[in-house]
Amino acid sequence: MGKTLFEKIWESHIVVEKQNSPDLIYIDRHLVHEVTSPQAFDGLRMNNRKVRRPDLTIATMDHNVPTTDRSLPILDQTSSIQIKTLEKNCKDFGITLFGMDSPNQGIVHVIGPQLGITLPGATIVCGDSHTSTHGAFGALALGIGTSDVEHVLASQTMWLEKPKPFEIRVEGKRKNPHAVTAKDIVLSIIKNIGTGGGNGTVIEYRGQGITDLSMEQRMTICNMSIEAGARAGLIAPDEKTFDYLRDREFTPKNYDTLVDTWRDTLHTDSDAKFEKQFTLHIDDIAPQVSWGTNPGMTCDITESIPSPDEYSKGDSNQKKGAEKALEYMDLKSGTSIMDIKIDRVFIGSCTNARLEDLIEASKVVQGNKVSSQVRAMVVPGSQMVKKQAEEMGLDKIFIDANFEWREAGCSMCLGMNPDILSPGERCASTSNRNFEGRQGNGGRTHLVSPVMAAAAAINGHFVDVRELELN
Amino acid sequence: MKGNIIKYARDNIDTDVIIPGQYLKVHDYAELATHAMEGLDPDFHTKVKEGDFILSGKNFGCGSSREHAPIALSHCGIKAILALSFARIFYRNSVDGAFLLPIEIDQDAYDGISEGDEIDIDVSTNEIKNITKNQTYKMKPFSEIIGKIIAAGGLFKYKPDQD
Repeated sequence: MGKTLFEKIWESHIVVEKQNSPDLIYIDRHLVHEVTSPQAFDGLRMNNRKVRRPDLTIATMDHNVPTTDRSLPILDQTSSIQIKTLEKNCKDFGITLFGMDSPNQGIVHVIGPQLGITLPGATIVCGDSHTSTHGAFGALALGIGTSDVEHVLASQTMWLEKPKPFEIRVEGKRKNPHAVTAKDIVLSIIKNIGTGGGNGTVIEYRGQGITDLSMEQRMTICNMSIEAGARAGLIAPDEKTFDYLRDREFTPKNYDTLVDTWRDTLHTDSDAKFEKQFTLHIDDIAPQVSWGTNPGMTCDITESIPSPDEYSKGDSNQKKGAEKALEYMDLKSGTSIMDIKIDRVFIGSCTNARLEDLIEASKVVQGNKVSSQVRAMVVPGSQMVKKQAEEMGLDKIFIDANFEWREAGCSMCLGMNPDILSPGERCASTSNRNFEGRQGNGGRTHLVSPVMAAAAAINGHFVDVRELELN
Repeated sequence: MKGNIIKYARDNIDTDVIIPGQYLKVHDYAELATHAMEGLDPDFHTKVKEGDFILSGKNFGCGSSREHAPIALSHCGIKAILALSFARIFYRNSVDGAFLLPIEIDQDAYDGISEGDEIDIDVSTNEIKNITKNQTYKMKPFSEIIGKIIAAGGLFKYKPDQD
C-alpha cells in the first residue's frame, strides 16, 4: 500500500522504532524563542549537558518584545529579563540568535521560511503551538512544550507517538480571492470539523483550493491546524514551494539537487490511505468572522450570531460553551455580524502578518481613514516584512489612514507585551485565537482576515468585503 | 489516589484561561500557581486544596504549547485532570514533566461526578471510585509508553533501554 506524505517524512526520521511504543524521531531544525526556553536551558546546565546540534538550532525573540521604538529600554522588567536570558543562553550554548537589533528578527514562524531555514521533508520543532505553520512547505512541524525543548536541545531527537493521517480536501475556486482569503478557508474548516476535529492527527491539505494558494496563504492555512486540534498540518511541496525557498539566506548550497529529490518523493501516493477525511467546497464560501471564544465559533459575514441551541445541535456542553461565550463577548443571538461595532484593530501575528497580508489590507486602507471610534495597528511579522513593506510604501498608506505602524513581534496576538486590549474592548484581529483574555484580560477578539480587519478599521464595524472594489 | 473534584462543565478549556499569557514571564512556580485558572475562575487558587482533581469536558488544554499550564495547576495542588478528551500538547506536557495525571474518562463518569465529590483513582485497575456517591467508573488506560513515563516520574527519568 502507498504512503501519505506525512508517513514518508515520519519514516525517514525514525532513529529508534519499537512495537507498541513511540518512535524516537530525528529533528532537523529546532527554533527557539524567549518564553518556552529558559527552563530548558536551566535543565541542560543542571545536568551538565550541551546543545547537541547548535548548528541546527536557531533562536529569536518575538513573544515579549515591545513593538515600539527599539532604541528605547524595555520598561517591563520581567520581559527584559526573559530577553536577556535568551541572549545569554544563546551565547553560552553557541546558538545563532536573531536578537532585538537584527534585521532578521521577527515572529519565529515568519522568519523560518523567509530565511530558508524551513525546508520540505524536514522535521521542525519549536516551543510554540503555531509551529504547524512550517507545514506549508511540506515539512512535519510540531509545537512542543519546554520539557521536549530540553530533550531536543540535548539529543536532537524526540519521542513521539505516531499521529494519524487526516486528509482535508479543499475543492473549487473562490469567486473573489481578494475578499475570500486563506484565513476564511481555514476558519470555515474549523467551523465545520470543530476545535477538536483534528485531535491526534496530522492534517494534509489537498485539492485545487490549496494548490491555487500562494506560499504565504498556505502558511495561514497550516498555521491554524492547531486550532482544529491537529498535531500538525502540511501541504505537499510544488514548484511554488521550491521557488519560494530558492536563494534565501540559509537555503542549502545543493538546493537544486535537493529539489530534484523532493519532487520525486514528497507527495502522498495515489493508493495511500488516510484515517479521516473532510472536504470543503470553496466556490461559494463567504468571508468569516468569529463571534465566540474559540475559533470554531465562527460564521459568515452575512449571517447573524446563532442561538446556543442552533450552535450546539443538541450537545449540552457546546450549548453551555456558547452561552458563556456570548456573555463574555457581550453579544446577543440574532445580532447581524455586520452590526458589531469594534474598538480596536490588530493586523499582525504568525497567521497573517506577511507581506501579502499587508499588501491586501493596504488596498482597502488606501485613501481612507480609520474610523474615529477605532484604534488600529499593523505589526509586521518580521523586520524583513517591515522593510519590504516600507520599500513598497505600504507604511505610508497605513500611517496616512491613522494606523499605528510598529516593529515586528507577536504583539497583541497573545498579550505578553504592552500591546493589549483593555477590559471590554472589542477587536477585529488577524490572529489565531479568540480565547477569553487572550489579547488582554476582559478583551474581546473577533478572528478575521487582514482584508476584513482593514475594512472594519475604516468602517468601525464588519462589512462584506466582497462588495468593496479591490484590485 | 484520593481527592476532591473541582468541576468545569464545559469543553475547550484552553491554556490561555489556565494561565494567561501575561504570566508566561513568571519563573517562580509558586507565583505562577497563584494565577492558575485566572482567566476562567479568578477564585480558583483560594478554593483549590492540595490533592484536588479537575473534571472537565472535551479538548481540555487546547491552544498554546506553554508548559506553564500544567505547571501552574500542579503547583497549586492539582494531581489529576479528568476530561472527556485532551489536546495533545497539554497531555504530553503533563506527562513529560510529571506535573499531573491526564485521565480520559467516559460520559458516565463525566455525568456522574459532581463538584466536591471525593473520588479515588486507581491507575492499576483503571477504575475511578466515587466515594461520595458510591459509584465506580472506568478510565481509559494509559498507553504502554505513557504508563512507563508516568511510572518513571517524567520524560527525563524514563530510560527506554531498560524496557
